[in-house]
Amino acid sequence: MDFGKVLMEATSSETLFEIPFPGHPIPVSDTVVVTWIIMVILIVSAFLLTRKMKTIPEGKQNFVETVVEFLNSMAKNSLGHHWKKFAPYLGTIFIFLIISNTVSIFNIIPTSEDLYKITGLEFFEHMPKFSIRPPTRDINVTACLAIMSMVFVAYAGIKVKRTSGWLKSFAEPSPILVPFKVLDYFTRPVSMCFRLFGNLLGSVIVMELLYMTIPAILPGLVSIYFDIFDGVLQAYVFVFLTSLYTAESIE
Amino acid sequence: METAAIMIIAACVAVAAGSVAAGISIGRATSKAVESIARQPEAGDKITTTTLLGAALAEATAIYGFVIALIILLVK
Repeated sequence: MDFGKVLMEATSSETLFEIPFPGHPIPVSDTVVVTWIIMVILIVSAFLLTRKMKTIPEGKQNFVETVVEFLNSMAKNSLGHHWKKFAPYLGTIFIFLIISNTVSIFNIIPTSEDLYKITGLEFFEHMPKFSIRPPTRDINVTACLAIMSMVFVAYAGIKVKRTSGWLKSFAEPSPILVPFKVLDYFTRPVSMCFRLFGNLLGSVIVMELLYMTIPAILPGLVSIYFDIFDGVLQAYVFVFLTSLYTAESIE
Repeated sequence: METAAIMIIAACVAVAAGSVAAGISIGRATSKAVESIARQPEAGDKITTTTLLGAALAEATAIYGFVIALIILLVK
């Protein structure tokens, strides 16, 4: 058993294929492919679930309305009466993060290595490794989400208070605070990005080590905490922090 | 000492210091939450969600330590 190898495998993302581009081919890693799969699932289900809406909800519409109402009430609680403009973004990020943090429970397809061991076919040996693991364990994804959130916070401040009011809010209690308030826009995304990345990577590593040492029964139980509970909690924390910062900037 | 040994010690210190801080803060938060639920059982739901959120935020120190340890060990 080689713990170091497993750790390296869990932390790095495999390049699956390259998009030919004149001069410089663009590598596509498994993180991106999993993100694409999640995006397709979300878009298709959004189309299917909102077809043929009725005044009196029934069946699937009940479910959708419950979800939307929950997301709206979350935005309403933290943003006050401006919630309607900003609820869609927060809800989208929340749903995306919940699915991408817990996506590793759907990791049931065998890897190319397993297929090669079972069937002995040459074809599988040269296939790139692909397994469904949370895309948020890649620091590029979380950094991107954190920067998006900070841009959203600045946008919300400008939208509600106009540019002059937003700029004035930097020197609100006293002008001495200006450097700290400017610095906030750079330290907050770093902290949000590291929090999500570290949590997800930590749980992925713990689960990988557990799969290696005790492959039966126990991982199923522990996975409930590390894959589902922790993933949903971190998604909620990320969205909560975004809405907190938004509420502060539109106040 | 070799550089590799120093790097491993540095990673251990980063994880240990962060974990101690997170452990103490989550313990304090939980003890206060239990106290207030015992005093006011009808506010239990609200207190529980707030405590979970606070614990997740306090946990961040341990996570920063972990990330920094990984950076020390893996980034050459």
